[in-house]
Amino acid sequence: MKNELELKVQAWLDGELPDHEARRMGEWIARDSEAAALAAELGCVKKAMFRHETAVALGESREFYWSKIQRQIQREAGVRRSRGLPWYARLRKYMLPLTGMAALACMLLMAVVRSGSPAFDEISSTGEGMEAVTFHDQSAQMTVVWLQDNSPAKVDQAAQKSIRYEDEPGTVIDLQ
Amino acid sequence: MRSATRVLLSTFLLAAAAASAGDMKLEAHLVWGTNDEKGGPNCKPVDAELAAKLHGMLKWKNYFEITNQTASIPLNKTQDLKMSDHCTIRIKNLGGSRVEISCIGEGKPVDQRVETLTPPKWLVWGGDSKHDTAWFVGLRSDDAKAGDANTVISKN
Repeated sequence: MKNELELKVQAWLDGELPDHEARRMGEWIARDSEAAALAAELGCVKKAMFRHETAVALGESREFYWSKIQRQIQREAGVRRSRGLPWYARLRKYMLPLTGMAALACMLLMAVVRSGSPAFDEISSTGEGMEAVTFHDQSAQMTVVWLQDNSPAKVDQAAQKSIRYEDEPGTVIDLQ
Repeated sequence: MRSATRVLLSTFLLAAAAASAGDMKLEAHLVWGTNDEKGGPNCKPVDAELAAKLHGMLKWKNYFEITNQTASIPLNKTQDLKMSDHCTIRIKNLGGSRVEISCIGEGKPVDQRVETLTPPKWLVWGGDSKHDTAWFVGLRSDDAKAGDANTVISKN
């Protein structure tokens, strides 16, 4: 007989089955000799246990008694959890994700700061009557802003003629 | 646990504040370019690094320093550097090495621009002067030498 059927026989004997199922089990046990034998054996065991088991009387209600046990289990489980890990391990549990998040935030901040800092001038304006000519020399890391008057008399002496630039590396050409 | 989180957050906020805000140290040099061998009585040799850059880009044989000034400008503050009786540089620290700078000649704004000045980059204004000479104002960030946070203006 299967273990499942054995358990059902036991449940039938203890009166734990619903009515319709208990009725079917009763009919089956009446027909099946093996089931009947098991039911008889279990019935004997049950009677023997009832007869010899010491009766324990509770001074409080059944629900209150079990709720005390439940509370005690919960209390001990909490203490065991908190005692299970040393303080540095518990700290590390929170610190690791926080440190990761902080590092990520720092990297994002640095990226934002750097992206907002272009290498050369962004905005420029020159006063009336003046002209500004801007030269960038990336190798020398220098920007020269040459200021000159716009008047025709001054144009002939434009200082931009005095400025040399490098056509190719190592070749300096004088514009004058 | 709470205190550890507070410490971490404080550190992060301080680092963020230090990265984004702070004083900007600058140095400015008024330089005279000439083909003469000697400068005036108040002239002295120009900063070697600046001189090398000027020699590489401009035609004059000699460059002499007339004045130099340094300043430490707090974030979003403006400061004037008087380079001579005729020339003043007005600088506003925009943060993140960015500055809004104006060149003021004879009391009038001549040129205004927003630049990112990260060491060792130089920004140089220049213009013609008499007898085939020229004036220059060189400006660069001095953050690499930053030591104290006090506002300093020195004049040679």
